[in-house]
Amino acid sequence: MKTQNIFPKRLQEARNSRDLSQDELAKRTNLQPSAISHFETGTRKPSFDNLRKLADALEVTSDYLLGRTDDPSGVIEGDTLYRDYQNLSANDREIARDFMASLAKRSKERKGE
Amino acid sequence: MILWRPLLREARSVKENDLCHVSITRCAELLIRDLGITSLPVCPFSIAQALDIAVKALPSDSQGVSGILLRHDNQYGILYSTWLENDGFQRFSVAHELGHYSLPGHPDSVPSGHASNAGFVSKDKYELEADYFAASLLMPRDLFKAAMNKAGVGLEAIEKLTGQCNTSLTATAIRYAKYTQDAVAVIMSTGSEIDYCFMSDCLKEIQGLTWPGKSSSVPRNTATHAFNNDPGNITSAKRRDGRTSLQLWFGGNIEVNMLEEVVGMGRYGKTLTVLSTERLPDQEELEEEEKLIESWTPRF
Repeated sequence: MKTQNIFPKRLQEARNSRDLSQDELAKRTNLQPSAISHFETGTRKPSFDNLRKLADALEVTSDYLLGRTDDPSGVIEGDTLYRDYQNLSANDREIARDFMASLAKRSKERKGE
Repeated sequence: MILWRPLLREARSVKENDLCHVSITRCAELLIRDLGITSLPVCPFSIAQALDIAVKALPSDSQGVSGILLRHDNQYGILYSTWLENDGFQRFSVAHELGHYSLPGHPDSVPSGHASNAGFVSKDKYELEADYFAASLLMPRDLFKAAMNKAGVGLEAIEKLTGQCNTSLTATAIRYAKYTQDAVAVIMSTGSEIDYCFMSDCLKEIQGLTWPGKSSSVPRNTATHAFNNDPGNITSAKRRDGRTSLQLWFGGNIEVNMLEEVVGMGRYGKTLTVLSTERLPDQEELEEEEKLIESWTPRF
């Protein structure tokens, strides 16, 4: 499942479920209204920064918008299938895992969990 | 989710005619504008902080690791390698990861835990874009050009700019070759082979020159060739100067003397050569030279 296939649909659904117009979402995310429109028609692809702003404003996760989970509040954890991961040294992997854990902790703190 | 761990690829560049080239520059410059940055050096660590991205040094001994962008839900982090003890290189690595974070379409390049990698656009595209973003972020056009215009010519200028931008010599040299109005070539070599060459616009305009491609030979009878014959020169970051000619490096019919400045890149294992001249012959001089050559040509 690739971003460009599902992201436009997920974004539109999440925006509609919050009963927001494209203009309103644009204001909340500090993005141009045309950018929201382009994202929803699939003519423009988001950056991670865009995804983050959209997910925050729509109170869903980036993983949901990207189609990596069907749960709007779902988070993919421990995904280590990214390329080249196997080439990291054991020490680097350990550091990466610790760092990831600190990001997970921060994520929970920000959500007040 | 770990998003990127690019190899050491500071020196690559997006092709000049790539449309992305313009949009990447614009993306970096918008970020600089939005953050109110108006002077050099541009600090990627401060930018990461402003974007709410955690940054941590990776005390790695693994060669080939420059940085990793990580994400958990909506929280982002950058790990950067300290394998090369070079502040400029480390800052470039962080800026490169900021590129992955900021550039449109980059989420597409991350494999999902539930999808195959089949059909992926070559990852090189994304790495090239992030490299170009990093250069545009750390050496923004207007600020860089203003500093460059006061910096002189050749390696001396590049070193001054390196200090002002707090960037690596390599990245600065490539940026300098892109924007200088002087006749300059920046060449990276390993042993007897050229890794890549960047020419200034002024040099590119000269007809008949051959752009040395990857793995082409370092010309004999050059300071670089002699320098690279002793690997100790590279590891101990020695320097050499010499006189050379445009023809020797790039062929063509125009004979131009150039300064050849050579620096060993230490642990990086490569050699940086900067060819420069402040003055190329103008059209009138070239026509006179052609007439002279013509007058020497025997006619039967």
